[in-house]
Amino acid sequence: MFPDNQTSQRTGYQQRQLSDRSIQWLFITPTLILLALFNIFPLFYSLYLSFTDFSAIGTAAPVWVGFKNFSTLLNDPQIWKYFATTGRFAFLSVGLQTVLGFALAMLLREKFRGSGLITTLILIPMMLSPVVVGFFWKSIFNPSSGIFNYALGYFHPASAPGPSWLDSSSRALWAVVIVDVWMWTPFVMLLCLSGLNAIPDYLYEAAAIDRASAWFQFWRITLPQVLPLLMIAVLFRTIEAFKSFDLVMGMTGGGPGDSTELVAVNLFRIAFEGQWRTSYASALAYIVLVIIMAISNVYIRNLNKVRGEG
Amino acid sequence: MAVVTNPQVDKGSIEKGVNYSTRVDKVGGRVQTVRTIRITAAVMLAFLLLIPVFWMGATAFKVRADAIATPPKIVFKPTLEGLIFLFTDRSVLNQARSKRLKARINELNWYERIALEGGQQITGPSEYVTRLRNSVIIAGSSTILAVALGLLAAYAFSRFKVKGESDLLFFILSTRMLPPVVVTIPIFIMYTKFGLHDTHIGLILLYTVFNLSLTVWLLKGFMDEIPREYEDAAMVDGYTRMQAFRKVVLPQAITGIAATTVFSLIFAWNEYAFALMLTSEKARTAPPTIPTIMGRGGMEWGTIAAGSLGFLIPVVIVTFALRQYLLRGVTFGAIRQ
Amino acid sequence: MKKRVILAWLVVLSLLLVACGGGAAAPAEPTTAPAADTPAASTEVTSTTATTSTAPTTETTTTTATSSSGGGQAAVSTGDVKELKILWAQWDPADYLQEIGKKYEEETGIKVTVVQEPWPSFYNRAFTEFAAKGDSWDLVVGDSQWLGQGSSQGIYVDLTDFLKSNGIDKTVTPATLQYYGEYPLGSGKYWAYPTEGDADGWAYRKDWFENPEEQKAFKEKYGYDLAVPKTWKELLDIAKFFTRPDKNMYGAAIYTQKEGDAITMGYENVMFSYGARWQDPKTNEVKGIVNSKESIAALEFYKELYTCCNPPGLGNAFFQETNDAFVKGQAAMAMNYFAFFPALATDATNPHAAVTGYFANPAGPTGERKAALGGQGMSIISFISPERQQAAMDFIKWFAQEENQQEWADVGGYTCNINVLKSPEFLEIAPYNAAFAETMTMVMDFWNIPVYAQLLTPTQSELSGYIVGGEGKADEVLNRLADTHDKILRENGIIK
Repeated sequence: MFPDNQTSQRTGYQQRQLSDRSIQWLFITPTLILLALFNIFPLFYSLYLSFTDFSAIGTAAPVWVGFKNFSTLLNDPQIWKYFATTGRFAFLSVGLQTVLGFALAMLLREKFRGSGLITTLILIPMMLSPVVVGFFWKSIFNPSSGIFNYALGYFHPASAPGPSWLDSSSRALWAVVIVDVWMWTPFVMLLCLSGLNAIPDYLYEAAAIDRASAWFQFWRITLPQVLPLLMIAVLFRTIEAFKSFDLVMGMTGGGPGDSTELVAVNLFRIAFEGQWRTSYASALAYIVLVIIMAISNVYIRNLNKVRGEG
Repeated sequence: MAVVTNPQVDKGSIEKGVNYSTRVDKVGGRVQTVRTIRITAAVMLAFLLLIPVFWMGATAFKVRADAIATPPKIVFKPTLEGLIFLFTDRSVLNQARSKRLKARINELNWYERIALEGGQQITGPSEYVTRLRNSVIIAGSSTILAVALGLLAAYAFSRFKVKGESDLLFFILSTRMLPPVVVTIPIFIMYTKFGLHDTHIGLILLYTVFNLSLTVWLLKGFMDEIPREYEDAAMVDGYTRMQAFRKVVLPQAITGIAATTVFSLIFAWNEYAFALMLTSEKARTAPPTIPTIMGRGGMEWGTIAAGSLGFLIPVVIVTFALRQYLLRGVTFGAIRQ
Repeated sequence: MKKRVILAWLVVLSLLLVACGGGAAAPAEPTTAPAADTPAASTEVTSTTATTSTAPTTETTTTTATSSSGGGQAAVSTGDVKELKILWAQWDPADYLQEIGKKYEEETGIKVTVVQEPWPSFYNRAFTEFAAKGDSWDLVVGDSQWLGQGSSQGIYVDLTDFLKSNGIDKTVTPATLQYYGEYPLGSGKYWAYPTEGDADGWAYRKDWFENPEEQKAFKEKYGYDLAVPKTWKELLDIAKFFTRPDKNMYGAAIYTQKEGDAITMGYENVMFSYGARWQDPKTNEVKGIVNSKESIAALEFYKELYTCCNPPGLGNAFFQETNDAFVKGQAAMAMNYFAFFPALATDATNPHAAVTGYFANPAGPTGERKAALGGQGMSIISFISPERQQAAMDFIKWFAQEENQQEWADVGGYTCNINVLKSPEFLEIAPYNAAFAETMTMVMDFWNIPVYAQLLTPTQSELSGYIVGGEGKADEVLNRLADTHDKILRENGIIK
């Protein structure tokens, strides 16, 4: 099975050096080519469009308008309101997902009879289509025929109605957060679980010999070891939170008023929905992109720091 | 092979699990209690999380009146109406036509009768099955492609000093940052121009690309955790780099591969915006179909629930099939630094 | 070295794609084509980024298209057109149209296929195809709001001469011809044949209204007889009267959905009847009109109706939700488009079908009665060949004949034909037809200019915020909305 070490050591080493380089290219280029094919054109084309006046369903060619779209957008207080809502939504839902996902992973870390089944079942919410989830939760939140209030203990919706969720400007965003958390906590949990499983036992054994407290073990071993994967999970959830629109569309349509109008929802409205202001939407999308990039950059820098330490 | 596996963890994955108590030398009632509490909490939380899914399952077998009843109906008489409606195209009958049809009820078969009870006449099979098949083809192929390509790229990024590595990685990630709503329009233009509009291959490529960012990043995360010493040892033993990759790294990365596969599949399976804009008949997948089964003149909750559940089943099957890999304790702990 | 690797990968990749495609994709088409296209395509794309426009193929220009429409009388032969494709939303009327199409095929041998697209993607599907000047469909049954874009962007064929020379314009009610066909309003130019008339009306519980005890209690409380409301004020009284949360009874289920146009339509029913409008018909000015006294009163009314009497959980409701509330016996009255009443008129979908009555919108303070418009007109796509345009016109001509309109009504379509609407047969076909016929004389619509959706978005969120969210005061909300409308209209040159 193994080649003869004695004879091929030198040439084998050389070959390996050579092939390492080509393997590297062989492995990376297909990904880069595909990404370039499908992303560079859309990326640059929409960047170009964001400086024009253009509608994809119009017959007129794009007209160059410079920074007009951007200045209109940046001067529109509404847009900032949507960004603020999105920020709140992202912070609340990603925060809760992280805490709950991590906690769930800790609970499921020790194997017991049926733990595999339980873990897989917990993943189900994430497998549903956001469109479906939106519809269904709308009916679940219905104060008279939904089960949410029922589960909270309002068994007689007619005589003693529970709180209305989606019809209230103050509670609607919370309702959306609840659903997003329900749906995506499993994602964070699964990544944490993989991270936890990868922690080598000898670290705990060493700690046990030192009679370190459980608390100390958690802070000095468990958390730092899981952190890299946890942060990747948080990074992806944050990006997705800034882009999420189908769930909200199905549940509240951004209402009441603008209380759940996330930036991506508004973007969808501008880009399609009869408006089809392609260039204006592209400009907004680029603003979103820059913000996501800035946030991701901070994350990644911290991630690298964590990795460097670990 | 110079690989040291940890027998304790291997055994643990079977039944008893990693029993931390043995290490702390505190086998006793208290630990047992903590363990019981832990398990109970996990089971209860899982149950709580699944209530909406159970509810959906129940709704699939409810008639319309039961689905919207106040207060919500926990106990109800199940019906196949939702399932029948899901697989058929129907037309809503007005009173007169309904009467006419009822007059010749004996000529109808069982599912036509159930539809008639719901006030509808079956006009033909629905597109649900075709759409589901499209979804299987598109999501399946793109997931395999994305994971395969992502695996290669992740390995290269993880093991070699790639020039401009962090920039490349950020570029790969940035493709996921642009809101799809906007990329759709250039891609739409591109696709109509090159005949990729409404084709399976068009969506497969697109989903592959969009999943690559996730697969590369996640798999790199997992690969970084696999000690290089493994491959080095194997290569000292005369494995080529490719052999080492195939025979040493891949088996170690199986948890990561399984998790990444599941995530990619879920994304491709549920993607809505692109599917809506870039397909119309031939290659349309299931998510844009779901709003179409919403019903006419009132929400047909049973049908929507049945459709959503039917749509959930393939992903659940895949996840269950990958479960043992997904949850397996990673076995390289012993030599990790 | 690197280059060779890249090249090798390209080959591997395309092979992989072919293999994948061959195994998985639709077997009907040669899968090698797209795979081979991809790499080549990309190079071209990146080099021509700046100049790529959305209008690739078909060169049919609007001028030729509209000129050929002319008198229409057999000037162009229909050649060998064997099939007409009509795009419409996916709903029952489209099924009905398909049935009418079968009859046309029997008579002429030309097959009629109604392509149905779900409501959420109907607009996008249609307009992306139009942007590519696609000729997939010959006719489209489009929303009244599409007229602006359809006519000003050369998508629709000008039907003015065709409708007039064949006398078709006289066969439908003036209001429907105006709102489903005319653009710009008052120009006398027509772009569509009013096909599916629709507007908002009401369903109500006859058994509750006719219950002697209820009638007595109502009379005592309000001093007049409990009956179908003649004014909005009466409607509010009745709604309040029947709102008894402890019995899970509520007065009126109304439109409140933020997505789309629902809450605007609901408000328009009151607003138009109160004498308020969206614009000055001559100057298009909106300030002082969107926020007129009447508008403010109408908005306050709609909010009061929502707050006092709407079933719980219906703060984001459209046709399904209001129907559902009615079906489960929660609502004494439900606002809806007539197109969605069939579901209330059958026992199978509504246990109260036998005791459900229907009425048209009541009158505002000055006695004016208006209803927000739904429904669609049928237009011919200008990108199809002259032969197909001729065939499409022949179909409309046939479809507009009174006997076929009668048939259309029989199968469940909502005709706009004056004579059919008046005929006693029509009034008997369905319990809501009388109210429908009445409503078809009083329809009114939102803006239908190309930027209507830009006007609609802030309207929806302001209305939803005030009515459902309870944010601000009616006058503040409408002042703000008037400013927003004014700004958008000025930017687009609608207000000079």
